[in-house]
Amino acid sequence: MIKTIPLEDAIGSKLAHDVTEIRPGEFKGPAFRKGHTVCNEDVCHLQRLGKNHLYLIDLEEDEIHENEAAAIQAKALAGNGIIWEDNPKEGKINLYAEKDGLFVVNTTALAAFNMVEEVMCATLHTNTLVKKEELVAATRAIPLIMKRAPIERAAALARQNGAALSVQQLRHVKVGLVITGNEIYNNLIEDRFAPVLTEKVNALGSKVCALKFVPDDAEMISQAIRSHLENGCDLILLTGGMSVDPDDVTRQGIRRAGAYELHYGASALPGAMFLVAYLGDVPLLGVPGCGLHHQITILDLVLPRILSGEKIGKKELAFLGHGGLCRDCPECIYPNCPFGKGS
Amino acid sequence: MQDFETLLKGSAEAHGHLCPGQVVGVRMAMLGCRLIGLNDPSSHDQIKKLIVYVEMDRCTADAVAHVSGVKLGRRSLKFLDYGIMAATFVNLETDSAVRVLSTEDARDLAPLYAPEIAGKYQQQLIAYKLMPDSVLFKVQKVQVAISEFDLPGPTRRKVSCQRCGQMVRDSREVVIDNHVLCKPCAKGAYYTNAREITWLNMNWSPVSDFRAKQPPNMPADSEEPSASNHLGQPGTKSHREKLQ
Repeated sequence: MIKTIPLEDAIGSKLAHDVTEIRPGEFKGPAFRKGHTVCNEDVCHLQRLGKNHLYLIDLEEDEIHENEAAAIQAKALAGNGIIWEDNPKEGKINLYAEKDGLFVVNTTALAAFNMVEEVMCATLHTNTLVKKEELVAATRAIPLIMKRAPIERAAALARQNGAALSVQQLRHVKVGLVITGNEIYNNLIEDRFAPVLTEKVNALGSKVCALKFVPDDAEMISQAIRSHLENGCDLILLTGGMSVDPDDVTRQGIRRAGAYELHYGASALPGAMFLVAYLGDVPLLGVPGCGLHHQITILDLVLPRILSGEKIGKKELAFLGHGGLCRDCPECIYPNCPFGKGS
Repeated sequence: MQDFETLLKGSAEAHGHLCPGQVVGVRMAMLGCRLIGLNDPSSHDQIKKLIVYVEMDRCTADAVAHVSGVKLGRRSLKFLDYGIMAATFVNLETDSAVRVLSTEDARDLAPLYAPEIAGKYQQQLIAYKLMPDSVLFKVQKVQVAISEFDLPGPTRRKVSCQRCGQMVRDSREVVIDNHVLCKPCAKGAYYTNAREITWLNMNWSPVSDFRAKQPPNMPADSEEPSASNHLGQPGTKSHREKLQ
């Protein structure tokens, strides 16, 4: 139960919640914290903050304060790789990455959680690469006091299929490259794919351990794949031959190598001709020519997810469509742009 | 209690089709019964412990009745015409009762739970299977005061309406100005212009009376009623079909 009292009668009372002060361009934060005992000197300060009345709270048995609610929410939301401190400021608790990795949101659970009127949680997009101690989400209760039941229901919703938020550490894997194309194999042009892919692989903490150049020949492509597997590669990237020309036989080579699952075509641009296949547990990623011409492509969307252990299949490639169109800005600002953020 | 898929299959067969409402109803009854401690409500030792109040006459109501085994004629199924997708499950032995409400949120969240399914109907059907109970339902602990005249068992009281003579059971009569009346006489009914009629083959019965001298399956009285207001006259085929 909440009781409102005039400020002049509040001397000696404890504040029921943090009182926020905003000085534009200078400061935003709690001027007074919950539990502070109001004294004479505070009255003018509180009046400057527009406070002429204060709340006195007498909680019923089935009610909780926003700070307790926020802690219940944060505990339920935070999964593997998420840390938070039970010290709500202005009723809000921030959640941080415990380690470098891929921030993953169960967007369905988050939506269900946020449908409970008394709570909110805002996060970064799912599948965002984050650094240790980076802010990834924040949660708070909406009312100052509320019934406990909806908060506990929201917590249950956040915990469905594990916690709603997590940071998945990227695996550090051995990568094999297969650069296809008669023009490169026969030294008619210089390969530029290997350095581009090596840089992307290195940036995610993995290493290119094997590199093979092969012509547009399905059997030789197949042999190169098998060779990488025998050398212990955990991930194979293939370039060239991913389009629709008669010389494009990379897919045949992948099939001939024994890939049991092959998904060709993805709902992202650049990257429509992308391919994902699996040979045992080893993913094979077919990178189309756009990987040479565009700084950021579908590979940048999929590779971190593969390294986090996610199985990428038809559904995952199809769901990239919403938000999967690169705006091709003169100066690329990825990842701070909409590309790949819709799924 | 049988597993979900078996209950859903049986419910859909009993109801006539499989629909999202069946999924919601089956799950609503499974949850409600579990929360009041009846894990096999249709079993011999539990069937008399349960009363269910359904608040809607939609597909979900049939599924709730199928899973929980309650029946209108057994007085274990009560219908409250609230138009609310909810049902209350009462354990008569322990007096514990829960009201399980289907959430509107579930409809909004269905596309998120089954994004790969096209079509609202099919999407809801799949999504309602995938959603956790906490998305699909809200639950209230409630108290239900059940009159002895609403309980299963033999009729507790019978009185005749002093206006129409109809027998009224289980204290449903109304007393107005010291006159005991049935509800239609006291308050009006859902029908109007009630008048008694005769109909074709009035003396038909499904089982032959061995004492009668008539051939089996033949009406003892084959004469047409002469009253002008009877239904089933030659030339009024549609009426006859309705009433036979």
